[in-house]
Amino acid sequence: MSEASSPLAPRRRRLVWSLVIVGLSILGVLLALVNMSLDTPLLGPFSAAFVGPKLVGLHAQPLSGSDRFERDRTIQTLRLTSPFSPGPISPLQALRALLSNGAGLIFIALAVLVVFPTRARTAVQRLEARNGPAIALAAGVATLLLTLAALLLLRFTLVYLVLIPVLVAIAVAVALFGLACVALAIGRQLERRLRLGDAHPLVVSLAGTLIVFDLAVIPYAGVFALAALAVAGLGIAVVTRFGSETGWSFADLKW
Amino acid sequence: MPDAPGGITCARVRVLMEAYVDGNLAADDPETAARVRAHISACDDCRRQHDQAISLPFRLRALRAPQPPESLVPNVMRAVTPRRDESRRAWELLIPEAALVAFIVWYLSGLDGLAREASSAVNDILGLFNWGAGSASLPAVPVADVFLLGALIALALTAAYHLSVLSHLAEVESSRQPTWGERRRA
Repeated sequence: MSEASSPLAPRRRRLVWSLVIVGLSILGVLLALVNMSLDTPLLGPFSAAFVGPKLVGLHAQPLSGSDRFERDRTIQTLRLTSPFSPGPISPLQALRALLSNGAGLIFIALAVLVVFPTRARTAVQRLEARNGPAIALAAGVATLLLTLAALLLLRFTLVYLVLIPVLVAIAVAVALFGLACVALAIGRQLERRLRLGDAHPLVVSLAGTLIVFDLAVIPYAGVFALAALAVAGLGIAVVTRFGSETGWSFADLKW
Repeated sequence: MPDAPGGITCARVRVLMEAYVDGNLAADDPETAARVRAHISACDDCRRQHDQAISLPFRLRALRAPQPPESLVPNVMRAVTPRRDESRRAWELLIPEAALVAFIVWYLSGLDGLAREASSAVNDILGLFNWGAGSASLPAVPVADVFLLGALIALALTAAYHLSVLSHLAEVESSRQPTWGERRRA
């Protein structure tokens, strides 16, 4: 029976994975739409920062006889009524936000796997070990505090002021690497829990990254979810010394 | 003693039985060992004694039990006592860090003060770059506040120590339990 079904299994796996990825993408678009439709004083800046600028108003009514100068496409003139707040919203704006922020995150996650496969594997293995998420989160908080303290201390030195942007850039790069590893770990959890079957690591990472993005655009809680994931990513990257197999070791200095 | 099998009496065989079973008799006196062997093969009572002597429980009972050291019980109890949860250890060091952060925020008059410090740092950086371009004066070094500097240094040291503990903890935890990939390959 297994021999008879084996030729179909890969095709079925591909179909299931495709459905999962399409479903997560659609969920991301819908969440982005909902997020943009919320216009509360507290969450407005958050949704604008992570999803994109909100629609400012309807297009002006075209003057009579000016139709031939109208260059907007049909979808650009489409406006939807928001179920959460008064005022129209543009689905195109949400799509643009998804394609910009989400695609950037996906690109970085896949690039990390392509450029640093061994390091990503080491970091993900640490995340999947016992107490791995708790250790990563605690390490991320400690790293964040250490970075902030170092940034404020550098201000008191005149010469090393130039190191502040460098330190910030390094912290952001490390956090992005860690976030990509967290996305891969989430994808592997998805693969295991839903028994989706083996897939290419890039496909697994793509699914995990889409989940991260979907979590990030959840109204109200998304910013906190993204912050927690980014901090955990920062922590796991630091604990594993950017995914090094040897970790923090002084063995090379003993000869 | 013509009625004694092997030319040796049962009483004598019982005396030599332990040395015979241990192999010492064959090494020290092969002739007597051969006689004991011949007796055992012919005498049912002595063969039963021999079979009993070579059984493991009997030999274990014959061993002398050594006196346990006084530290045995405390050592065993210490070994079987449940260890402190490692995940708790990962978070405990955040307490002094949180206290230091609270002190720094309070000392800087709240989050607004912290934001002012960050803004000043950005202005200093811009001033430094503009000074390099020849369009601004060199930014002034802020007045060193002993309490703030001390708290920042303590925070940096505590966080660095915390990270070293967490790195060690992560190594221990990953070595204690196989990863998902290893389990799946197994």
